[in-house]
Amino acid sequence: MSIIEVNGLHKEFLIAKRETGVMGAIKSLFKREFTKKEAVKDISFSIEKGEMVGYIGPNGAGKSTTIKMLTGILVPSAGEVTVNGIIPYENRQANAKNIGVVFGQRTQLWWDLPTIESFELLKAIYRVPDKRYKENMAIFQEILGLDEFINTPVRQLSLGQRMRADIAASLLHDPPILFLDEPTIGLDVVAKEKMRTFIQEINREKQVTVILTTHDMEDIEKLCQRMVLIDHGQKVYDGEILAVKERFGKMRTLVVDLEETSKQLYVTGGALVKQEGYRYWIRFNRDEISASDLITQISQTHNIKDLTVEEPVIESIISRIYQEGFTEQHETVHI
Amino acid sequence: MAVVKYINLYFKLIGAGVRAQLQYRFAFIMRIIGMLTAYTGTAVTMWVMLYQFQTLGDWNFYEMLFLLALAIVSWGFCIILFFHFRSLDTYILNGTFDRFLVRPINPFFHFMAMKFEVSSLGQFIFSVVVLAWVSVELQIDWTFTKALFLIGAIIGGVLIQGGLLVIISALAFWTTKSEQFYWVAMYPARNLTYYPLMIYPKLLQWVTAFVIPFGFVNYFPSTVILEKETPFFPDAIGYFSPVVGLLFFILSYFIWMQGLKRYKSTGS
Repeated sequence: MSIIEVNGLHKEFLIAKRETGVMGAIKSLFKREFTKKEAVKDISFSIEKGEMVGYIGPNGAGKSTTIKMLTGILVPSAGEVTVNGIIPYENRQANAKNIGVVFGQRTQLWWDLPTIESFELLKAIYRVPDKRYKENMAIFQEILGLDEFINTPVRQLSLGQRMRADIAASLLHDPPILFLDEPTIGLDVVAKEKMRTFIQEINREKQVTVILTTHDMEDIEKLCQRMVLIDHGQKVYDGEILAVKERFGKMRTLVVDLEETSKQLYVTGGALVKQEGYRYWIRFNRDEISASDLITQISQTHNIKDLTVEEPVIESIISRIYQEGFTEQHETVHI
Repeated sequence: MAVVKYINLYFKLIGAGVRAQLQYRFAFIMRIIGMLTAYTGTAVTMWVMLYQFQTLGDWNFYEMLFLLALAIVSWGFCIILFFHFRSLDTYILNGTFDRFLVRPINPFFHFMAMKFEVSSLGQFIFSVVVLAWVSVELQIDWTFTKALFLIGAIIGGVLIQGGLLVIISALAFWTTKSEQFYWVAMYPARNLTYYPLMIYPKLLQWVTAFVIPFGFVNYFPSTVILEKETPFFPDAIGYFSPVVGLLFFILSYFIWMQGLKRYKSTGS
């Protein structure tokens, strides 16, 4: 059985309609009208032990709502969830022992106290045996370098340090499952890299199953083999990241710098998408025309000074999926 | 077994809470001084008023001071134990409440133990000094049973006032913001306790005895200790104070848990 099993998950909220003006406010005191908002609609997926899955979607897509149902914070309106064999909302406390949670924007550490005290308190809350505690702390200190700030109050930590402490805190009780809600938000490049290495390491060594939400596509590309993409509460895609790149990554952009000329550039098989001075951006489908064919074509009429071929980053691929839906696209625009 | 572990954990958590507060020493000391002056002000007002009339109802100045001191001593303990509930709405509003729901312990307990408001020292200094002074002036004979009853009454008062704090905080689960209810319910109810209940209209007395049972915080127990009459109420009513406190607190706990259930289905 999969470690996480989600079946036909559904969550709707009633949102009170607010009427404008003083009269509206008075009216709403006595009679409130509600609109139904479906935050999560019929989502199903299952995650195997040891997997590292990116859970992606634009703001308001229903990512956090799903995570909250998996952690037992929210009760679903319909559908089934099991996490490590436990139904989270029915048995929240038992579920809490199996999961580690990091909310990137909110720390779970004791703000005013030296960092080490938060670990001691979490040790008591989760009843981590002394031996496990010492072993785990040794590992965290080695990989995350907690030593350098372990006696500093949390409020004085840099964001990178705080995230490191937070992630260590969430793993103190050896949970088999880890939820990371935007673990790299606001971090600089070096801190991001450190964080990613650590996540990879614990996934590999402790076989921790990781569910990760993020807006940073590099996180996904570097960490996850699989991603679940949701939009407007519905699952849009679930599968390998490579497959997404395969399907949406066919489009390339050829950027050419031409020598000064009065002749207008014409190309067939590609679309001229942008022009700045004598620099042209030509978008083309890899399956329909090769870059070298395009270049040959251009060089027949113009002198090329410089050129590059840009591959799409996964970010732009995803934003196109949001806009167009996950259907096969054939884009051939001729000018 | 589980209880022992919870008690252990409670002391660990409040220990951390105290150390966190001591990080801000200046604010801490100012709070104590502030409370001390505020209550002295109330006592002076009382004296000025009674200087003119000698008695209020059939309560003289010292008896009223006793009433005030009893209210404040239990309020002091109440602040220490339950004051964190007053900020529950802020936690809900900015989403930090979720943290209490991803941990393997009772969220009511966890929330309560997160803060231990030590700055109510001002309340204690005031009430201990006043109680000692008034005991001499009124020649109260502190027998063992009387002292025991006083402790029981204080516990009852703590639970009643704490219970109301808990109920008010729970409203945030429905309305997101609960600060205003504090000013609508807690503040007036506490102010009522500064004077003998018998001077108020009958309806108000009835409400304060049976709806929001603040009469049991200090008025009814004081009538027992000072051996005074309780018009409209049976004489022995004061003895029920600890029981009323316990029942009211259990009720407040269930209301809070009901609110939590709602939070878990709405998430806001």
